[in-house]
Amino acid sequence: MHWTEYFSPLMEGAWVTIQLTIYSTIFGAILAFAAGIGKLSSNWAIKAVSVAYIEVFRGTSLLVQLFWLYFALPIAGMAIGLDLRLPPVAAGVLALSLNIGAYGAEVVRGAIQSVHKDQHEAARALNFTPRQTLWNITIPQSIPEMMPSFGNLAVQNLKDTALVSLISLGDLAFRAEQIRNFTQDSTTIYSMLLVTYFGMALVLTAIMRGLEAYVSRWRVARS
Amino acid sequence: MTKFGKTAVMALSAIAASALASTAVSAATLAEIQESGTVRIAVANEIPYGYVDPNGEAMGAGPDVAKAIMEQLGVENIEWVTTNFSSLIPGLQADRFDMVAAEMAILPDRCQQVLFSEPNTSYGEGLLVAAGNPKDIHAYSDFADNPDLRVAIMAGADQLEMMQKLGVDEANLVTIAANADAISTVSTGRADAYAATSLTASGLANQNDGVEVASEFTDPVIDGAEVRSWGGFTFASGNEELRDAVNTALAEFKQTPEWSEILTGYGFTEADVDGSTTRTTAELCAAE
Amino acid sequence: MLFGYEWDLSSPLAFAISILPILLTGMVVTIQAALLGFAVALVLGLIWAVLKAAPSRLISWPAKVVTEFIRDTPLLVQLFFLYYVLPEYGIVLPAFMTGALALGIQYSAYTSEVYRAGLEAVGADQREAARAHNLSPARTFTHIIVPQAVPRIVPSMGNYLVSIMKDVPVLSVVTVLEMLNVAKIVGDRTFDYLVPLSMVGALYLIMTLVASTGVRLLDTWLPKQGIPLK
Repeated sequence: MHWTEYFSPLMEGAWVTIQLTIYSTIFGAILAFAAGIGKLSSNWAIKAVSVAYIEVFRGTSLLVQLFWLYFALPIAGMAIGLDLRLPPVAAGVLALSLNIGAYGAEVVRGAIQSVHKDQHEAARALNFTPRQTLWNITIPQSIPEMMPSFGNLAVQNLKDTALVSLISLGDLAFRAEQIRNFTQDSTTIYSMLLVTYFGMALVLTAIMRGLEAYVSRWRVARS
Repeated sequence: MTKFGKTAVMALSAIAASALASTAVSAATLAEIQESGTVRIAVANEIPYGYVDPNGEAMGAGPDVAKAIMEQLGVENIEWVTTNFSSLIPGLQADRFDMVAAEMAILPDRCQQVLFSEPNTSYGEGLLVAAGNPKDIHAYSDFADNPDLRVAIMAGADQLEMMQKLGVDEANLVTIAANADAISTVSTGRADAYAATSLTASGLANQNDGVEVASEFTDPVIDGAEVRSWGGFTFASGNEELRDAVNTALAEFKQTPEWSEILTGYGFTEADVDGSTTRTTAELCAAE
Repeated sequence: MLFGYEWDLSSPLAFAISILPILLTGMVVTIQAALLGFAVALVLGLIWAVLKAAPSRLISWPAKVVTEFIRDTPLLVQLFFLYYVLPEYGIVLPAFMTGALALGIQYSAYTSEVYRAGLEAVGADQREAARAHNLSPARTFTHIIVPQAVPRIVPSMGNYLVSIMKDVPVLSVVTVLEMLNVAKIVGDRTFDYLVPLSMVGALYLIMTLVASTGVRLLDTWLPKQGIPLK
């Protein structure tokens, strides 16, 4: 097989990788906000759940989490009578989201806590409820603080999608392995694979930097 | 909870619910398959038993016969799934696919976990060694006799039991995840040989000059008999209907010349083709 | 049977207890791989940091591109590359070494940044004061800059060690018998993945907890201003 024939299957795989990255980053962001805010909550139940989630998913390996969701969860489900057989796509997106959500939660928490105390005092003086303060004052000001770290996490997420190839999900790494199985042409394929991931990461970094600049607009104007 | 909180919880539960709902509740029965027109068949990328080319076309002794059988059963669409050999049985149990066309050897241990069709092929063992056979290996028992030699086996494959019965030490076994890793493993010396079926070994040897099939190979003798394996199609336990339908179609197909042409086309010898009818699945599952 | 230990399938608890020694054997390999990878990352990261700080663009620019490339590509692919491509050019490393090397290379991109940030954080006034005292650049580096940079570097490096431990399971794809691989082999042979994989998760939590606590203790033990010289 000539190496130019590798393009088509690799690009199909790249598309799957891109979709995986987008879905898991979005779900991960939702989880990050939920857990990050939850950890700061005064309600001890919410706080406990958030802390447990963050500690478990930051303290264990992503590949272990992925294999557990793919191989072990169905068996656990059978034991309690629920059908928990996730298709590879669901297991992959779920593992990636949970993992990046846990790391993102710490970023969110740190950014929220970094909002200046004066802002909270002013909000109280204006009779804002805690909920309103959080939603209208704290979060909008904390987002620019989060963006640089989120940018790093997004690229990390992209790299982590390669692991889903190990549960037979047809992403870029999986398609490359299939071709290699067939042609044994390791050097060409892995070089193409590295370059493709590098390209995707650069594009993603550029997008995240653009996003960072967008949400920080109001900061530039501040004296 | 804030309005944002409520919407977030609803969104998350909707996602979770749809994710769970999208999984099939149980292995698709014959009726469901015939109605939907699609069957999911898994292979483990092992040439020539069942493999997928880079464009996703399934080929091999298992898939080609499976295609003929499915045509006869009126199922037009086959969704091919590639997975590791060791994930074939767990995948059936977790309903990730309906059938396996990897010519898995019918063994008593496996019969306890899954259902097998009648044998489709039979095959003997072989060894893949580095070009020139530098360590002069000709049999599985060489690894029991010489503790310095290391042999590679595929995860989940029955060569493990053979090696254990021959007394090969666990430390001398290198377990690889995929068949195609064998070429690299053997040619670079990470293992001195790869133990697999004779056709697997010759298939790999054809792909690369760095490896060859061990010459003058003698079949391993275990429990007094030379080892020979019978491969068939695999189904999830409980799916007897699908298995029976496939068996009927398979028996018919074996009468046609196309069947033996497919097998010999992939390198099976006449002896292999004839041998596939000498045992029944019931006999193989009940063996010691 | 694996590593000489038989497993007991009579009940989940009996199964769990019987495979614990097997998993711990894998854990030893995990820790070894993590430490070796960390060592490589520390050394290689320092080399990158020095190259990136070179005054000549001819040296610093390629170093920056290479580290960015390493940072932006997955560990899994780098590992496959080292494991399958190097032998085609005559370099055959055992799987464990290849794995540790891959970990080290991947993390060297991160450690080089830590070195750079740590060294830069030592104020310019320190360098000026050193010059005023007629200290040679080499002595300035070893006696003034490095002792003050170390306490700043250690926490981040410690965190990367914990991250490396969590990345070791990726090595299972090249047959390294670390904890996850061992659990998967047990699962392949017994068809019960729940017990082994759950135990691996729990063992990982314990390992990372111990390691993180260790890093935090080391951080508190190191004086903030810098390591005092005799």
